[in-house]
Amino acid sequence: MDGDAILLMLALGPASAAGFYWAMHRHYRNTDKSHAFEHETAVEVLALTGVEADRKVDEIRATRAPRIQGDNVGNHRQRVQPM
Amino acid sequence: MDSLDPRTLPQPIRDELLAPDPAAIDTSAKELRDGLNHCPKCGSTEVRHRPGTDRLICLYCRHEWVATRVEEAFGLGEGIADLRGTQIGSGARDMAADATSLRSYKCGGCGAEVVINTATAMTARCHWCRHVLGVNEQIDDGAVPDAVLPFQVKKDDAVARIRQFVNKRRLFALKAFKDEFTPENVVGVYLPYMVVDARGNADAAGFGEIETRRYTRGEGKNKQTYYDADVWRVQRHVDFTVDDLPLESSARRGNLDTRSNTHNVINTILPFDTKNAVTWNASYLVGYTSEKRDRDVQHLMPRLQDQMLSIARAQMQPSVQRYDRSVRWEHERIDLQGTRWVSMYLPVWLYAYHQPGPDGGLRHYIAVNGRTGETMGSVPVQQWKLILVALSIGTVVEALALWFIAR
Repeated sequence: MDGDAILLMLALGPASAAGFYWAMHRHYRNTDKSHAFEHETAVEVLALTGVEADRKVDEIRATRAPRIQGDNVGNHRQRVQPM
Repeated sequence: MDSLDPRTLPQPIRDELLAPDPAAIDTSAKELRDGLNHCPKCGSTEVRHRPGTDRLICLYCRHEWVATRVEEAFGLGEGIADLRGTQIGSGARDMAADATSLRSYKCGGCGAEVVINTATAMTARCHWCRHVLGVNEQIDDGAVPDAVLPFQVKKDDAVARIRQFVNKRRLFALKAFKDEFTPENVVGVYLPYMVVDARGNADAAGFGEIETRRYTRGEGKNKQTYYDADVWRVQRHVDFTVDDLPLESSARRGNLDTRSNTHNVINTILPFDTKNAVTWNASYLVGYTSEKRDRDVQHLMPRLQDQMLSIARAQMQPSVQRYDRSVRWEHERIDLQGTRWVSMYLPVWLYAYHQPGPDGGLRHYIAVNGRTGETMGSVPVQQWKLILVALSIGTVVEALALWFIAR
């Protein structure tokens, strides 16, 4: 067993304690819950455009990141710069 | 001094000056007056909401009737795509700055002056002749809304749901909370909301990436995965309508900071079937308490814009699925073309427990949606017990890991 694997194994104890505390605290206090208005409101899309205007602008070679940096496509409530 | 010619002003200021006043939709119940709410059949004032239904019942002659649904009475579900400007229900108009909650009404039965504190109640019994008085006319303190959604979940059902919710969270619950737990003390409250229809269009711009190649380099423990990808400039525009989005119109309830309060659990039990809301009649509130709104449309507009932008981003998501390394939005914009605001009292069963602590402690709520029965709550935690069990689990896992390493 190499050094990285041993460190990983040793971290399991503190990680499981912290994970258990966090999960239970959330289960009791529900601080992460709110109205999912994005999905629970009646929305009618009249027009969705822009797909045809997407343009390739660059290429990335040999990155180790499996996702785009700053991925926020699923985080609908994160506000970004105004246009 | 010469008066200003709007044509000489910049376009945004000119638009603001020339824009029509917010159109008010008159939702006042003209057939009702402040004071005695009579049964339409026998004239008695012993009128109550019949639990489990949307009907009113006369306790004297047992006659039952239902108020008109606002959706049909005022055409609120229609024409959202054609909305322009800001339309406001007459019960959602701005509150008068000097309005007071304490209101005095002359009893129609005996002429006595009866005071009703509209901050917490909309009905009172005359202390002389026992008639029930209700506040029906839309007064300038915002206490009378455009519509009310009657309770359908009965108290027994709410108590059972709260008990079930807490029973799933007993092990690490604060001992004092468990000792004092009496769900029968749940209170039916009509909480104030603005229910908004809106049409908007939004834009978002950013970058998306598509994986073109995935490969590994190195051998053995140095083996690592690398990716090649194409970067695309992505822009989307969505034109959309939203029907019946509820916003808390109480500053206190609208503050969802979970470090200082547990109002987020009341927010979580949204939405309600607001399509079934009926025109205002104070008799629906007999036996329940109510909370007066203290926010006007202008206060809630930034929150609406924020939520509309979030909805727009959610609607755009399916159109960027081809970017398998996902998308990073960098710029966004929302433009509201039209909004329609209706104030409503929505029914919530609330169980509260005050946990003492620094800065006045924390009030924990367990809330049951008075229509759907959806339940959410905050149960205070016995911290030492939870920490002890977490440390015990961590110790056992660590011992197993050490045994595995030493093997």
